[in-house]
Amino acid sequence: MSQPELSEEDLLQRAGRGDARAFDQLYDRMAPRLFGLLRQMLHDEREAEDILQDGFVLMWERASTFDPDRSRAFTWAVMLFRHKAIDRMRMLGRRNRLVDSAILEQTTLADSAYSGVDDEVQSNERGLVVREALNELPKDQRQLIEFAFLKGLTHHVIAESLGIPLGTVKTNIRRGLLRLRDLLKGGA
Amino acid sequence: MMDEERFEELAAMNALGMLENDEKRSLDGAIARDKELRALSLELDQTTAELGRLIVPMEPPANMKKRIRAKMRATGVRGVGVSRGFVIGGIGWALAASFAVASVWLWQERAGMTQQLAAASRAIAPVHNPAAPAVDDGKTRTLEEELKKRRDEFEAQKQALAAEIESLRKGEADAKTQSAKLTAEVAALKHQEQESQLQITTLQSKVWEYRRSEMLVVWDQKRSQGVVMLDKMPKVDSDKDYQLWVVDPAKPDPVSAGVVTVDSKGSGKTSFKPVEAVSGEAKFALSVEKKGGVPKSEGKLLMVGP
Repeated sequence: MSQPELSEEDLLQRAGRGDARAFDQLYDRMAPRLFGLLRQMLHDEREAEDILQDGFVLMWERASTFDPDRSRAFTWAVMLFRHKAIDRMRMLGRRNRLVDSAILEQTTLADSAYSGVDDEVQSNERGLVVREALNELPKDQRQLIEFAFLKGLTHHVIAESLGIPLGTVKTNIRRGLLRLRDLLKGGA
Repeated sequence: MMDEERFEELAAMNALGMLENDEKRSLDGAIARDKELRALSLELDQTTAELGRLIVPMEPPANMKKRIRAKMRATGVRGVGVSRGFVIGGIGWALAASFAVASVWLWQERAGMTQQLAAASRAIAPVHNPAAPAVDDGKTRTLEEELKKRRDEFEAQKQALAAEIESLRKGEADAKTQSAKLTAEVAALKHQEQESQLQITTLQSKVWEYRRSEMLVVWDQKRSQGVVMLDKMPKVDSDKDYQLWVVDPAKPDPVSAGVVTVDSKGSGKTSFKPVEAVSGEAKFALSVEKKGGVPKSEGKLLMVGP
C-alpha cells in the first residue's frame, strides 16, 4: 500500500527537525515555481540561480522556525525568497531603476497563468482560487499589484515607470491588497 | 489622511517590498506598538506571497541540488538536533538528564573535530604521481613553470591547512574546558532551583561564525524573568548589540528581552525580563541589532532555541 503524500507543511516541519530527505522533496516541489519567480524579478539567469541556491540554504537553516498555524509552507517560502531577491536588487542598485523598459509589457501574472503553458497552475486548486480573486480586482489595481510583486521596485520608481501619480499608486496598492486579502479569506 | 489609513498603506506597500528604508523603519516602529497593525501586516505579507502560486514554473539547473549541498558544506550549515530545551520541576532526575544530554553533545563536538583533524592531515600529505608523462624539450620550460606554479599553490594550501589544524586543536581543547565549565554550571543551577518552574535551554547556532558559541538560558516562567549566559561569542560592530528575543507561541512576533552584552572574550551573563508578558512555554533566540536594541527584530536570528 502506498504512503499518503506528505503536505508541504509536513515536509518543512520535518526539514526543521533535520530530515534531509524531506528537504529534498520540498526542493522538488517548490524549486521550479520559486526559480520562475526569481527569473521574473531579477531578469538574470545566473543571479536567479545564486538566489535560489542561497534561499534553499537559508530555508534549511530557518525551517525549524516555521509555524504552520501562522502560514502555509509555500507562502513562507515565497516571502523568504522574495526578500532575498529584493536584498540582492538593493545590493546591485537595481531597486531604484527599471532595468529594461520593455519588461513593462511582460509583467503580468494573469498573462502567464492564462498562457496555457502552466499546467501546474491549472491543477493547483489554491492557484485557481488566487487567480479568481485577483481577477475580481479592478484592472488598475490588479496590474499594479502584479507589477509590484514581480519587480521588487520602490513605489517611487513604479509610479515613474508606469507614469502614474504616486498617490494613485499608493491608494491602488492599499485598496487592491486589502480586497485581495478579503477575497482569499472567502469574503465577498 | 488618517493615521490608520497611512499605516495600512505602508503595510500594503511593505508586503510588496515597495518601501524606502525610512518608511520601513516608521512602519516597524508602529507595528511594534500596535497589535492590530502587526496582524494586518502579517495578513498582507501572506496575501502577497499567495501570488507566487501564479508564477510559471521554470526548471532550475540539474546540478542545483548539488550546489545547495556544497554551499551548506562550505558555509558549515548543519542539521538540526544539537539544540535542546526542557522544563525542570521539583524532580532531580530532570537535571541529571540535562547534564547527560549536554555531555553527549560535547562528546559529538569533539568527535567531529577529531574527524576534521584527520581529514585536514590527509589533505596535506604529498601527492605521488608515478605516471608522469614524458615531454619533449620544447615543452619542458612550460611544464616547469606550470609545476612551479602548482607547487606554490600547494605550499599556500598546506600553510592554510596547517593553520586550520592548529585552530581545530585549540578548539578541541576549548571544548574540553567548556565541558568542565558546563558541568560546574549545571551543578550551580541545582542550587538555584526554586519553588517555581525553571526552564533551561541551550542554544546552538547553525551560522558558521557562531559554531562554537554557547548560550544558556534559565527561564523562570512564573516570574517571567530569566538569566542568559553567553560564551565564545564573536565581537559585533561598535554600532551593534546582541539582543535576546522570547518567542511566545501566542504572539505573532518575538518579544524583546533586551540587549545582552559580552566582554572582550565573548562571555557575559545578564538577567532579563521581556518587555511584554509571556505565556506558555517560551523559546529563545539571539540576533545582532542596532546599538541599544530595537522593538522588532531586524537582524538575522543567529542562535535559536528548540
